[in-house]
Amino acid sequence: MNDALQKPVAVIGAGIGGLTAAHFLRRNGVPVMILEGGKQVAGMASSYVDDRGFHYDFGAHFITNRLAAAVGIGGQCRDVPYYGETFLVKGRQYSYPLGLLATPRYVVGALKAKIGGRQGEPRTAADWFRQEFGRTLADEVSLPILEAWSGAPADQLSAAVAQKLQNSIGRTIYLRFCSRLRRRAISIGYSQEMPEGPNVWHVYPEHGVSQVCERLLADLRDVVELESPVQQIIVENDRAVAIRAAGREREVSAVVSTVPAPILPKLVTGTDALEPLRQFRFRPMTFVCLRFEKRGILSDTVLWTAAAGFPFFRLTETPLSMPWLAPEGKTLITCDIGCQVGDEMWTMDDAALGDKCVDALESLYPGVRQHYSGCRVLRTPIAYPVYHLDYEEARQRFAAGTGVDNLYSIGRNGEFAHILMEDVYWRTIRKMNELLRKLRGAPPTPATAPRFTSAASGQLASV
Amino acid sequence: MQWSHAASSDDAAPLALAYQPCCLCGVEDGMPVAVGEDFEYHTSRDAFVAMRCGSCGLVYLNPRPADSELDRIYPPTYHAFQFNAENFGLAHRVRSRLEARRLLSYCRRLGDTPRILDVGCGDGFHLQLLSEYGRRGWKLEGVDASERAVQAARDAGLDIHLGTIESADLPANAYDLILLIATVEHVANPSAVLKAAAHLLKPGGHVVVVTDNTATLDFRLFGTRHWGGYHFPRHWNLFDKRSLRLLAQHAGLEVEMLSTALSPVNWVYSVRNRLVDRHAPRWLVERFSLKSPVSLGVFTVLDGILNALGRGALLKLVARKPRHTADAIQADRQPNQSAPVEVNGHA
Ligand SMILES: Cc1cc2nc3c(=O)[nH]c(=O)nc-3n(C[C@H](O)[C@H](O)[C@H](O)COP(=O)(O)OP(=O)(O)OC[C@H]3O[C@@H](n4cnc5c(N)ncnc54)[C@H](O)[C@@H]3O)c2cc1C
Ligand SMILES: [Zn+2]
Repeated sequence: MNDALQKPVAVIGAGIGGLTAAHFLRRNGVPVMILEGGKQVAGMASSYVDDRGFHYDFGAHFITNRLAAAVGIGGQCRDVPYYGETFLVKGRQYSYPLGLLATPRYVVGALKAKIGGRQGEPRTAADWFRQEFGRTLADEVSLPILEAWSGAPADQLSAAVAQKLQNSIGRTIYLRFCSRLRRRAISIGYSQEMPEGPNVWHVYPEHGVSQVCERLLADLRDVVELESPVQQIIVENDRAVAIRAAGREREVSAVVSTVPAPILPKLVTGTDALEPLRQFRFRPMTFVCLRFEKRGILSDTVLWTAAAGFPFFRLTETPLSMPWLAPEGKTLITCDIGCQVGDEMWTMDDAALGDKCVDALESLYPGVRQHYSGCRVLRTPIAYPVYHLDYEEARQRFAAGTGVDNLYSIGRNGEFAHILMEDVYWRTIRKMNELLRKLRGAPPTPATAPRFTSAASGQLASV
Repeated sequence: MQWSHAASSDDAAPLALAYQPCCLCGVEDGMPVAVGEDFEYHTSRDAFVAMRCGSCGLVYLNPRPADSELDRIYPPTYHAFQFNAENFGLAHRVRSRLEARRLLSYCRRLGDTPRILDVGCGDGFHLQLLSEYGRRGWKLEGVDASERAVQAARDAGLDIHLGTIESADLPANAYDLILLIATVEHVANPSAVLKAAAHLLKPGGHVVVVTDNTATLDFRLFGTRHWGGYHFPRHWNLFDKRSLRLLAQHAGLEVEMLSTALSPVNWVYSVRNRLVDRHAPRWLVERFSLKSPVSLGVFTVLDGILNALGRGALLKLVARKPRHTADAIQADRQPNQSAPVEVNGHA
């Protein structure tokens, strides 16, 4: 082992990104320490059960059998038998993708766009969607969702935000068909990093999504330090040399951070390579989780309501996919509300927020109010990365690296990328392979032809 | 609520798992190609990921059952312990004939009193064939890590060492022929096993490796989950020609022949696993088994055609330990100059 391997790698954050990085490095012989600011691990992949038997997931609900097997909890998961999405447009519901495809207006628009061909590479998200799906479908369905979710007009967003939704309709329909046939919710548009197909489907861990992180933690307990927010990352001569947490400075051989990208420059001293990241913005969200004494209120697991002028842009009735998340005969509906920190939605008290959502639901599903039995509200200032054109160049540069050779910024917020748990997992492993080669003093492998191909498929689901 | 895995309830405890890098490249850098379960023996409810190494193409299970779980993943009903005439009837007789012919073809160039070692000999199936059909002067030995298998083989009067090829105290530079038939896919580190074999071989001695082939039609059709060659979770390393050649070269051996051979087994299990996974009725599942002459026959014909095209279900490698160390260095450095011939297999 060379000298660099004596000092530990500091991993900041014990969500799936940080835990995966630490697990990988450690099992490959690199000493690590994990510093987590919070009282517990799992970050955005936490889950919680209340005393009435309702399960709440902080962020992630859906993982895949492949991720579960990769972390070693495949045997402790149940298959998700069904998953579906529906769009609410002008008072009518369209299932995805067949309902939309059965609508001549949308199909004609989309065909026209295809025949018209491309007018150069689209720069904005608005252009991208219109070129790809046609004006009608883009303007009525896709763009309202995008805008509600990112809080910015689609012509100010980079086309890069849309590219992840790239899909082939034929393949989506094929996978949907397999899904129905086998009663397994085949993952469609969930992973960009690894191929999807009929044998990758959604599962749910026996003890909630947080079990993914807990499994990784089980091998790392002795190196995790909770309630230890990292306050400083010290860079000298373009190398991270130490970190400071709880007032104590520690030498490191490298730093792997899952701190949200725009916060990272506030921690790093000794370089201004990361300054451009300060401009990056996240869309804050309020999630209102309503409890009902009745099940099967929505017609599908997810209902996109962006175009309909409701406070929320999406409704999710998770027990339609995962019946075990609520006691029998009862259900949970999560309302996703995009907001700004400090605005009306952000500051409204929980009960009033619940009422407001139920009012809106009542107009969609008359009579639901009588089954409503309370809510739980979750607010997060950091929910979705906004790919604003204002800082698109800086974002693209950052996607190639932090500018400090042994400082890695990984994970969803760390990469400033809209990626789900499984992609966080594989991308982290890939990056840690690179770090491992550096630490071992081996030459980096050339960035050859793309080694990871991803099946073209897509679904708006996982946003 | 139903759980995803058809396991009996006493096997509910998850297996202890361990992560391993690619045994040829030393890194864990690849992409997942399959997720599967123990469709055959249901020894646990766990799911497993097969990774394909980004640099050499080896397909390997990661994570895989820890060494402490071997007794669980190889239950007493495991077929290698039970492949006998009473259980398998006609299939047993046919397979014995074919195997004997195949084995003897490896022995053509041996002297009068060669010493032969079968690594991972199980209950001694191959050794018995050799003693039955081979010549008198042959000194036959086996080595296997399973006490159960070793006992069975010894009961049959065979000379068996208990342990792995690395751990059993075997003499260096002593063997004329070492057989690794359906062995490298089961072991934790095939590279270490081949190096150990090279060490035990006399200079000029040969090693024969027979293992599942991932560059096949059945892999393309079933490779994301049900492919029989995965044998989840018991096959830990799976090769194609490229990675198998590398394996031999890493051990300093000269590849003399690398070809494919015909086998219906992975086809039968691929179909069976898919049926099991889809909860097909039992009578249908039972049509696809090693006890079923019809499915064996059909897939023998199919794989025979594929084998003629160089795509048979098994890989067969014959490699030689160089007579001088200088040869070894050359073999290691200039793999292409030794120009091994690729011949299509023949059963
Ligand atoms: C609403 C929503 C729904 C989602 N749904 C899904 C889904 O269905 N399926 C799916 O796969 N994914 C989903 N995701 C995405 C998934 O939750 C994330 O990709 C994943 O959890 C990110 O993990 P991470 O490790 O990158 O970050 P995090 O989980 O955020 O972990 C970062 C950790 O770093 C800690 N930290 C931050 N700063 C410091 C500091 N200075 N010092 C020490 N510690 C620090 C934090 O406390 C936190 O624990 C969803 C996300 C959201 C927001
Ligand atoms: Zn490799």
